[in-house]
Amino acid sequence: MRASRPLALAAAGALLLTACGGGGESVDTGGSGGGGDGDSVLIAAVSAQPDQLDPHVTSAYASFQVLENVYDTLVVPNAEDLTFEASLAEEWEVSDDNLTWTFALRDGVTFHDGSEFDSADVVYSYNRIIDEELSNAYRFANVESVEAPDDRTVVINLSQPTPNLLERIGAFKGMSIVSENAAEEFDLTTEANGTGPFRLESTDATSTELSAFEDYWDGAPAISGVEFRYITEPAAALTALRNGEVHWTDNVPPQQIESLGEGGEVELETTASVDYWYMSMNYAVPPFDNPQVRRAIATAVDRDEVAEAARFGAARANQTAIPEDSFFYYDYAPFETDPDAARQLLEEAGVTTPLTMGLMVTDELPESVTSAQVIASQLEPIGINVEVEVLDFATWLDRQSQGQFDAFLLSWLGNIDPAAFYESQHITDGANNYQGYSNPEVDALLQEASTTVDEEERKELYDQAAKLIVDDVSYLYLFNPDVVQAWVPGLEGYQIRADRAINFEDVELP
Amino acid sequence: MTGYLLRRVGQSLVVLAGVSVLVFSLVHLVRGDPVRLALGTRFSQETYDALRARNGLDLPLVEQFFNWAGRAVTGDLGVSFRSGEPVTALIAERLPATLTLAFAAILLALLIAVPLGTISALRPRSVVDRIATVISQIGISVPDFWLAIVLILVFAGTLGWLPSGGYVPLTDDPLGWAQRLILPAVTTGVVSGSVITRFVRSSVLEALGSDHVRTAQAKGLPQRQVFTWHVLRNALLPLVTVTGVQLAYLLSGVVVVEIVFSWPGLGQLALQAVRARDYPVLQGAVLLFALVFLVINLLVDLLYTRIDPRIRR
Repeated sequence: MRASRPLALAAAGALLLTACGGGGESVDTGGSGGGGDGDSVLIAAVSAQPDQLDPHVTSAYASFQVLENVYDTLVVPNAEDLTFEASLAEEWEVSDDNLTWTFALRDGVTFHDGSEFDSADVVYSYNRIIDEELSNAYRFANVESVEAPDDRTVVINLSQPTPNLLERIGAFKGMSIVSENAAEEFDLTTEANGTGPFRLESTDATSTELSAFEDYWDGAPAISGVEFRYITEPAAALTALRNGEVHWTDNVPPQQIESLGEGGEVELETTASVDYWYMSMNYAVPPFDNPQVRRAIATAVDRDEVAEAARFGAARANQTAIPEDSFFYYDYAPFETDPDAARQLLEEAGVTTPLTMGLMVTDELPESVTSAQVIASQLEPIGINVEVEVLDFATWLDRQSQGQFDAFLLSWLGNIDPAAFYESQHITDGANNYQGYSNPEVDALLQEASTTVDEEERKELYDQAAKLIVDDVSYLYLFNPDVVQAWVPGLEGYQIRADRAINFEDVELP
Repeated sequence: MTGYLLRRVGQSLVVLAGVSVLVFSLVHLVRGDPVRLALGTRFSQETYDALRARNGLDLPLVEQFFNWAGRAVTGDLGVSFRSGEPVTALIAERLPATLTLAFAAILLALLIAVPLGTISALRPRSVVDRIATVISQIGISVPDFWLAIVLILVFAGTLGWLPSGGYVPLTDDPLGWAQRLILPAVTTGVVSGSVITRFVRSSVLEALGSDHVRTAQAKGLPQRQVFTWHVLRNALLPLVTVTGVQLAYLLSGVVVVEIVFSWPGLGQLALQAVRARDYPVLQGAVLLFALVFLVINLLVDLLYTRIDPRIRR
């Protein structure tokens, strides 16, 4: 036994060291750590750690889940129908030539550090995004300048009419208003100075903690704080919810939806989202450059079956991008699933079968793998042999950007305005037109729609563009997934949203 | 002895240098563009170029290597692409959690393995031996993520005795710390313990059959004395090596277990870095793992020279 004693001692010593080291690191886990009574901190189980908390820099959903509660934007999408309503801007007007937007700012708004909110903060925030070429700079592509004629007024000057300007500046917290010079005064990757209902207290490898901001302009939240706890494994997240360790989670695997709704121990809600799933084929790879072949494939795919398998029914099959609940929804579904018709189309196109098609998906989104497998089984009878390639997302993106694919399958998240649904994906040389689609008619329609102010006229133009995109099968649209979230019974005031924004401002704990 | 020590340390440094070149090249050879990943879906070419330049990714690879290696020697591992935080700070934040888990698991493994392996060897083919063999066989074959989820469902879900995961520092909440440590430590400890049990059994068996044990028995020494001085001592010597290897393995982060239990250790950090192609963090983490292996191996070797004089040359 002599040999193992020094080791045991070393181990014990190291444990002590660990304990001391650990204590020094953490600052503020006291309140919620023991789950004690009395404090009203909502604990939300989210699936990932924010990469960082600078709203203008990050692009991670995990970050925006937190930032939604910390920062405000000038305008904000309404929870019911995603139309834009006042937030930090109380009202706004557009000049007759549609090139100047004037925003009147709300009075009596304070930042978390106690300083007063005024027009200089807006100008600073927007210019930071534009000047430093941050990832949201594209949203200001039409913006010539942002000015502050007085403390309570902000003027945005445009190079062309931009009917979706409100969407551009308000769709999500990437367009947050930070205090003037915030980037110099704070380390925005781990600190925040917003005007939102909650103040950022701390963030580390286990959780991010927020506390209620008493001076919030819309009234202090009912709860004293929010703790975002990262639980990657859905089984663990659900167990934690059932145990009462956490109050809320969006980490619900679709296959659990039915069983979860039943017991009554957990409240589960779903709503149609503004996201869509699609498949796209490479126009540079024959025979997928042939519209007839793409249409044959679109005819062979049974979207209901794909949605059922991938999302266990928590999705709505769709042949265009925009979901049913939107004003811009276009009721157009030319493809009726029919393998015989598909086979005939292939024959007419002069394609010899069997044909092999690589379909690139990513393990980051398990639904994409399931969808691809179902599609593979649907294309097999028409003589197309689909090889599903499962890649990690970094490799996937790499191959997508270099055009090294026959076809790929993915989703677009969080679009509100039709421009976001169609422009960069289908316009010739669009930033996200990886499939290589080019149709001058579509270009012209999308171009015109982007500057058309009248809503009805604008919808008409997008409908026409969508029809061409669907007929050409630039994207083969599959379905709009539902948002699925679960919480403890008795949690009041929480509203599930189509844009997946998570807002705990009005929540009351049971 | 000093010469041996110096020679071994020197060897370790050479290996470390080699590993760092290998790490750097491998990490950069993997497909995937960190800038694209960081920017999300929509961005302009200017934004892309600006971010690339800011992270020094536009420089030739050789230059990038020397920049990195030069700073690494001084203990500066760069900043994370993803979060902009220093890599050393990120690693330091994760280290306590990984150390806690690794030591708890190895302790548990030894507590199971040494008695169980010894009893098995002393009574080969007995009921105890058979049960031990089956248990360790299961421990080795069962996937750790499966075991982890079963433990969560049973102990956190059905029975509700323990939290489903997470981590709190010992000083903040000793009870919470212990409660959260149990399930991940059991999951990892069972796997390591199973490996070590088999090892203990076979080396005790081997020692039992060796010449000097038979000599001792022939001399008429009491069984107890033969066992403690001649069997156990020799049998447990190699245990130092196995335990060292297992510990190094655990310290490099049991990735799956850390993910399932939301345990904020180095394994989790490394996996996030791989997914985001966060080169500085990935390089830093792998370099640390290499260092841990080398240091533990060195310590094991030195320990060996203390216990077994034949090696001291």
